[in-house]
Amino acid sequence: MAINASKSLGDRLSEAPNARTWIGGVSVVLFLAAWQVIGANEIVRSDLISYPGEIAAAAYDLASSGELGANALTTLREFAQGFAPAILAGILLGLGFALSRLARSLFEPLFVAMYTAPLIAFVPLLVVWFGVGSTSKAVTTFLAAVVPIAINTTTGVRETQESWVRALRAFGATRGQIIVKAILPGAMPIIMAGLRLAIGRAIVGVIAAEMYVSTSGVGRMIQTYSTAGRAAEIFVLVGEVSGFGFMCVWLLRRLENRLAPWRARA
Amino acid sequence: MTQLVVENLRLEYPAARGGKPYLALSEANLAVESGEFVTIVGPSGCGKSTLLMLIASLLRATNGTVKLNGKEVAAPGPDRALVFQDFALLPWRTVLKNVEIGLELQRVPVARRRDIARKYIEMVGLSAFEMHYPHQLSGGMRQRVGIARALSVDPEVLLMDEPFGALDAQIRQVMGLELLHIWERDRKTILFVTHDIDEAIYLADRIVVMSASPGRVIREIKVELPRPRGLAIRTSPEFNIYRETLWNLLEEQVRASGSWAAAKATGDR
Amino acid sequence: MNEKFAQVALGALGFILLIGAWELAARNGLANPVVVSSPARIAAAFARQWASGDLFADLETSAIEFAIGYGLAIVVGVVLGLAMGLNRIAEYCIDPFIWFIYASPLIAFYPLLIVWLGFGFVTVVTVAFLLSFVSIAINAMAGVHAVDASHMRAVLAFGGTRRDVIFKVILPSSVPHILAGARIGLGRALHGVVLGEMFGSNDGLGYSITRYAAQLKTADVFVPLLTLIVLGVAINQASALLEGRLQSWKRA
Repeated sequence: MAINASKSLGDRLSEAPNARTWIGGVSVVLFLAAWQVIGANEIVRSDLISYPGEIAAAAYDLASSGELGANALTTLREFAQGFAPAILAGILLGLGFALSRLARSLFEPLFVAMYTAPLIAFVPLLVVWFGVGSTSKAVTTFLAAVVPIAINTTTGVRETQESWVRALRAFGATRGQIIVKAILPGAMPIIMAGLRLAIGRAIVGVIAAEMYVSTSGVGRMIQTYSTAGRAAEIFVLVGEVSGFGFMCVWLLRRLENRLAPWRARA
Repeated sequence: MTQLVVENLRLEYPAARGGKPYLALSEANLAVESGEFVTIVGPSGCGKSTLLMLIASLLRATNGTVKLNGKEVAAPGPDRALVFQDFALLPWRTVLKNVEIGLELQRVPVARRRDIARKYIEMVGLSAFEMHYPHQLSGGMRQRVGIARALSVDPEVLLMDEPFGALDAQIRQVMGLELLHIWERDRKTILFVTHDIDEAIYLADRIVVMSASPGRVIREIKVELPRPRGLAIRTSPEFNIYRETLWNLLEEQVRASGSWAAAKATGDR
Repeated sequence: MNEKFAQVALGALGFILLIGAWELAARNGLANPVVVSSPARIAAAFARQWASGDLFADLETSAIEFAIGYGLAIVVGVVLGLAMGLNRIAEYCIDPFIWFIYASPLIAFYPLLIVWLGFGFVTVVTVAFLLSFVSIAINAMAGVHAVDASHMRAVLAFGGTRRDVIFKVILPSSVPHILAGARIGLGRALHGVVLGEMFGSNDGLGYSITRYAAQLKTADVFVPLLTLIVLGVAINQASALLEGRLQSWKRA
């Protein structure tokens, strides 16, 4: 925002190479240092806010005892069991909505209602229906993910360019070939954006569902440590979940760059 | 040998709510010899692209038939390959994969279709760009991909719908020259729609002139310029005679369509 | 207009088909009505909760928590977002924390929130606030970044000050972005209220859902649940409408 001709110190700082990274880094380090000082010296009760040193120790303990790994595996399994079918069902539903006006008119309002409602409100019901075990978590994940994937697939397909379809038709392509070779690849970037949205919703969904009621998983651990009033462990677990989310989104972006390198221009 | 016959082809769009039916093409007749290069010119909106789409079966005619080698055609197929004005390449496919698409749709095995695609990519001079994506190419290069794609399925007839219309004047001339080189090598039957008079003369064995809307064929002109033709031929006196003839024909049509449009606007038609 | 009517009619038909199939399945023993409930049972439960005043009490609590949480989120989100948009150093400093809050399952902190803020109202409001202010801030910042530099140059060229640029160019032209963020924030705030009530309160629609579910009163669970769905759709539609109104200059 160089409105004034003369450059202030701030302007010059913010225009340095990699300014975003190192100013952000410094800011985080300062925050962590202040937190450490306040927590470790009990300026504020450390059982309420913990502090980085304690959190690091807790992370080490949780990881080395194998407790974290085992529970993370449970959560990951539930997540995968819900998310994989959600991708398939979401794309098929989205295709159906895009290609059939009747299907769209009949069911899109139901879908939009599902999308706007807070998903977490369904969890108690899902537990009644599917039990306290893994199934209800997988179903929660599925429901959280399927809607944005379907909605984005519909959008993507409806934005398919007529010229792609025309080119294939001219070579005598069948309806199936047109869907597989023109419509789906053309919609891929928008479907990918839907997957990103879905991942965020699904992660929060699976964790909250485990926190609500479960026998194992990261959400269960959060619940256990919170009743025990252990702030440090909660920070570790929250960090782990966020890290997983970041990793998923990062992987998805890599995948997107491979699947849709042509989009770089658009 | 007569290869492609168009008989009494007519396309009428049904009336939109509260409007009149629209006649896009009225009784088009045309016979094309095997190996002939035919260009179609006419004022814009005369239905010359429509005619091409009907021959390709991308549009369905209200009346009339299209026969290829004596057999009536009903569905789009690789026997009539199209080259589009907007290129219509698939942006997520490389040049190679774009050229392969026609063969891929016919389930030609990978290795074979790759060989064929490479041959035609080489023919249009893009061997160095096989792995590029369409957005990395210039307009002229993109249309070369479009031409290679159409040739790769070894069509009976090549249908070209203002293929150089989106390119600037110089590239257009070069592309025309290259197209002639390719055509002289394998003598495909070509139907080439354009609104550029020079292009129509320069390329053609025969020029089909269409009337203003509703379109029909009003004149056919044989072009008896020697082949192979170079760019220099455009400045020859013979070329000029063709140019003048065509220009006069088309001017009449444009005037006719202009007065028609004016009459329509004032509502006294 | 006929087209529009057909759309609405078909959409309604979709709902009716769903309800009809559900009721039939429950009546013919295809699905256990105690577990999956049925539209008729839900209607009865709705009448019961309506008459007893439970539904209104829940709705009132949730609505107040939502209004305060979301209101705070707008104020803090807009101020923070504009500050980040106008000052790059501020942006770089705050950015990592914003993304952490955005990407984390914040509800995991509810036990800490309860200890800090007490069980109930304040905790719920805080969860709603935390979930929604970030999307507003991010969008407000994007709005400032998207300001057309030629507009700023125009104001400066006519002798405007930095202050003029901010108030006459940057703020008005960020409005569409801020509104878009506010709309995303709506859904997140509602989500926050429900999460907060489910885990950190014994009041409101979210709490009622968990309570009825724990008692296996499926039909009763659906009453606050459907209320939330209707509320979500209504809020979203209203905000879309409002956004359209406020942005009319964009098309003009």
